[in-house]
Amino acid sequence: MHSPLRALSIGFALLASVLTSPAADKSYTIAVIPKGTTHEFWKSIHAGAVKAEQELAAKGTKVTLFWKGPLREDDRDQQIQVVENFTARKVSGIVLAPLDSQALVAPVVSAVQSGVPTVVIDSDLKSDKQLSFVSTDNFKGGQMAGEFLAKQLGGQGNVILLRYQVGSASTEAREAGFLDALKKFSGIKIVSSDQHSGATRELAYQASQNLLNRFGKDVNGIFCPNESGTVAMTKALRDIGRAAGKVKLVGFDSGSQSVLDLKNGDVQGLIVQDPLKMGYLGVMTVVQHLQGKPVEKRIDTGVSLITKENMAEPGMAALLAPPIAKYLKE
Amino acid sequence: MSRFPRFLKTGGPFLGLLLVCALFALTEEREFIFTGGNLKNILTQTVIVAMGALGMTLIIIGGGIDLSVGSVVAFCGVLGAKLLVAGWSPIATMLVLAAAGCGIGLVNGAIVAGFRMMPFIVTLGMMGIVRGAAKWLGNNQTVNAPPDSPVGQLMARVNPGEFWPLPWGVWIVLGLAVVMAVLLRRTVFGRHVFAIGANETAARYSGVRVAQVKLATYAIAGLLFGFAGLLQMSRLTQGDPTVAIGLELDIIAAVVIGGASLNGGAGSILGSMIGALIMALLRNGTNQLGWQTFTQEIIIGVVIVLAVGLDRWRQARGGK
Repeated sequence: MHSPLRALSIGFALLASVLTSPAADKSYTIAVIPKGTTHEFWKSIHAGAVKAEQELAAKGTKVTLFWKGPLREDDRDQQIQVVENFTARKVSGIVLAPLDSQALVAPVVSAVQSGVPTVVIDSDLKSDKQLSFVSTDNFKGGQMAGEFLAKQLGGQGNVILLRYQVGSASTEAREAGFLDALKKFSGIKIVSSDQHSGATRELAYQASQNLLNRFGKDVNGIFCPNESGTVAMTKALRDIGRAAGKVKLVGFDSGSQSVLDLKNGDVQGLIVQDPLKMGYLGVMTVVQHLQGKPVEKRIDTGVSLITKENMAEPGMAALLAPPIAKYLKE
Repeated sequence: MSRFPRFLKTGGPFLGLLLVCALFALTEEREFIFTGGNLKNILTQTVIVAMGALGMTLIIIGGGIDLSVGSVVAFCGVLGAKLLVAGWSPIATMLVLAAAGCGIGLVNGAIVAGFRMMPFIVTLGMMGIVRGAAKWLGNNQTVNAPPDSPVGQLMARVNPGEFWPLPWGVWIVLGLAVVMAVLLRRTVFGRHVFAIGANETAARYSGVRVAQVKLATYAIAGLLFGFAGLLQMSRLTQGDPTVAIGLELDIIAAVVIGGASLNGGAGSILGSMIGALIMALLRNGTNQLGWQTFTQEIIIGVVIVLAVGLDRWRQARGGK
């Protein structure tokens, strides 16, 4: 019974001794690890990373990118595995959007100790071992959403906050910023702020329907702190005939559907980040470090408020529809 | 019984593992995959599925199934983190988690055996109940364990670049695997589990106390699931009520790849452990090759179907 196990371990040991001779060339391999791969937000990050790869190649620095999300979108354990596996793969650097601010600390510390510098993007990590943190100021984004929604409502009305997911630092900061901004408006009542939409559009749709079933007649304004929540809530509002501005909806992040919803007037405002810039700067920061240049510990990539009125301006249009196709062959 | 099917029975999963190793050995990434440090990675990543598979093998051999394991892992993780935060000692926490897992298993077993209900339905219900309870217990949030707790060290990879030392979790699973293998193969209880899985009516007429054995089966498995929860918490350094969704399917897949039959009466601990290892190795290797996530899902799916196909073929031949 034990002989196969022993044979296996001997086999592994032999292979290990024969094959350990790390290839030493001057090109870099960089693993970019998003929280998931299906949201359009992550495709923009991917495009940004590819943009950095192309620019560096033009300057004569060869970078090979690995783009790899966890097998299940919201599974922390699986994302830990991906980080561990790339650390073992001895990539030159890792760019990581951690699914959880605490659970990913140990693998990142272990990667840095193994000599793989790691840049954290999008969501913060409760550690000081990462090379840099490249992201949106999410709290500020949330405040912007709160102030805009309050203005739309004239400072009066019932408001729903449909949260995204437990433990996701970026969206929790937006939610906190949103609630913080609304404190100033005594005429606004928050009727629900303890529900979570979950990771998928289907789950978000169900949560939206359930909330609207309860509050649909009384609600005047809604904030959803991520893309799938915004799209699902808009759909649920349309279903019950309360879209088109009857209920003011402010969302976060943009995708092709939410941009369409903004154009049609079902969504009043979108707070958008610059994910392409985030992916781009994530890779650039790692490479800068690998080339021996100093890097900043905190890099803010900015937020903007987009409405139906300003969405056609060139700067805004590029944020709404990042030139993904230019960088990704799909 | 001819020699060939017998060889396949013990050697099939092992052969599969060698095949996967050989495939990765052909790639250029082999210098990264076959290193001591990465082997430690793979073993660490196998631990939680393997721990679950220990219990699941027992249940599946007895002709049952348990879909609640992912939820039990999440629940016990949250419970463990809360106890540690409240200042309980690691040993006490571990005992409470084992008791909690065992208790949930007892309820499953009591309903399955007492009311002769289908285990699939009973544990499907329990999956929802326990998942909800985990979220309720954690107040819908992750509960961070104290960072300096020794429990957090169970799954920590000290010296990540080298094979030694292995995390405690790996040794715990190996130790329990030996215990479970002995229990299944060398005790009266183990023979009764096989007998019930092969033919419940015949076992009952031969004097096997079917209800008691079933109850014990689910209770022992539940205890192991509780341990899996402890290890999951250690790995995340937090109790997460949403963790391990779909884990039951990974575990069932590992057991099936390992040669167990969902009809009951067949299976082995060693096979299930290798099954769990194959899945972790596939994930690890395809990660490092930079293959897209969907290819992993497809490959693991194909492996499951192939393994079950092999199982049917073996049964057909073994029956003659």
